[in-house]
Amino acid sequence: MHIETLDRGAFSSALVKLSSGERFVSESGAMFRCSSNIEIDVTTKGSGKSGGLLGGLKRMLAGENFFFSTYTCQGEDGEVGLAPTLQGEVKVIECDGSRKIICTGGSYIGSTTGLNIDTKFQGLKGFLTGESISFVEVSGQGQLLVSAFGRIVEIDVTSALTIDTGHVVAFEDSLQYSAGKAASGWVQSFLSGEGIVLKFTGEGKVYVQSHNPSEFGSTIGPMLPERS
Amino acid sequence: MKHEILGNPDYGQLSVELGPGESFISEGGAMAWMSDRMELESRMMGGFIKSIIRKFAGGESAFLVQYSHPTGGSVTFSPATPGTVLHRQLNGDSLILTKGAFLGCTSDINLSVKFGGWKSLFSGEGAFQVVCSGTGDLFFNAYGAVLEKEVNGELTVDTSHVVAWEPTLDYRIGGMGGLKSTLLSGEGLVLNFSGTGKIYLQTRTLGGLAGWLSPYLH
Repeated sequence: MHIETLDRGAFSSALVKLSSGERFVSESGAMFRCSSNIEIDVTTKGSGKSGGLLGGLKRMLAGENFFFSTYTCQGEDGEVGLAPTLQGEVKVIECDGSRKIICTGGSYIGSTTGLNIDTKFQGLKGFLTGESISFVEVSGQGQLLVSAFGRIVEIDVTSALTIDTGHVVAFEDSLQYSAGKAASGWVQSFLSGEGIVLKFTGEGKVYVQSHNPSEFGSTIGPMLPERS
Repeated sequence: MKHEILGNPDYGQLSVELGPGESFISEGGAMAWMSDRMELESRMMGGFIKSIIRKFAGGESAFLVQYSHPTGGSVTFSPATPGTVLHRQLNGDSLILTKGAFLGCTSDINLSVKFGGWKSLFSGEGAFQVVCSGTGDLFFNAYGAVLEKEVNGELTVDTSHVVAWEPTLDYRIGGMGGLKSTLLSGEGLVLNFSGTGKIYLQTRTLGGLAGWLSPYLH
């Protein structure tokens, strides 16, 4: 199995190349093309233990789809093309099993079968971040595919980094985060237009997106006619 | 202070590295990520009344944010829309920015809010403009790519494509040719710039995207 990302920039997509018998899992709806010898199955159980009704519901809390699509290659080699909804980059994160990866706000698009996809409840903290009350937690060895609005920037956090809500794509679980105020006081934080930010501490990688999708949405929203 | 612009023309961002004691001003809400222990202070642009007017009539945030760091650190800023981020060094000259174009500047740049006159109310470029002057670095953003044009004489531009211009240029509102062409060309109102100076135009408009999208919503 091999994942290629095509066309960097605003319209990037991924091409997953499978050999006979290999399987790949994606969120349902991400596939836009595949070879005829690929068998597609839609289930609530992708890989790992998070299946069934409960698994699906938990994923919905994490801003993902209830269902997974699984692609099994039969006979000769085959390929599956995946594309996210928003304009922006698609990135492959190589997971060596040493650290779990946490994906926020619907950034997960797919993963190789060696990876376990689970959800991690964030509670009030997740809700405050403007993301979701649950994040997708990826463990094991394999390749993880994420998407973003805009460019994806990989930052090595060595002690601490503050990130505005709406910009986090994924991060290694060796990092801790807390929701906090942007400035020293609450009044200043809200006047600054930043409000709540995420403070990451520890050591590890964080993947951020250059643009905030909900900020773009709320900029163009007032220009659209009212919903009838 | 060091700065770097990344991701143009699709997803432009501005990254600023501040030394101890240095400060930088940005539009409210533009920060994407920053060093720990960055100090933020909100300020109003041009006094309370003008800030409120700017907020409610100009559609921009009422507050500016001043960033500084006791031991030095960096901040990365993202405009609300995808597009291009531009840098302009001001050396005592000034630049006029249209609605939503201001991203940030060094602390010695003067920013003032100016009512563009009645003509600006009808032209679609926003009733309030931000006049930037002084000496320092100015950063602004546009939706789409940006065309920088030296005007020497006259230039006609579609109102919503104007991002910024030098005040040595004068403008008036006009139609495309007569009434018939104004109504039929799809251009609506245009701005006729005259004089000598630079103008910055964006290759797309957010209003254009919204207008195209509207009939498909239900």
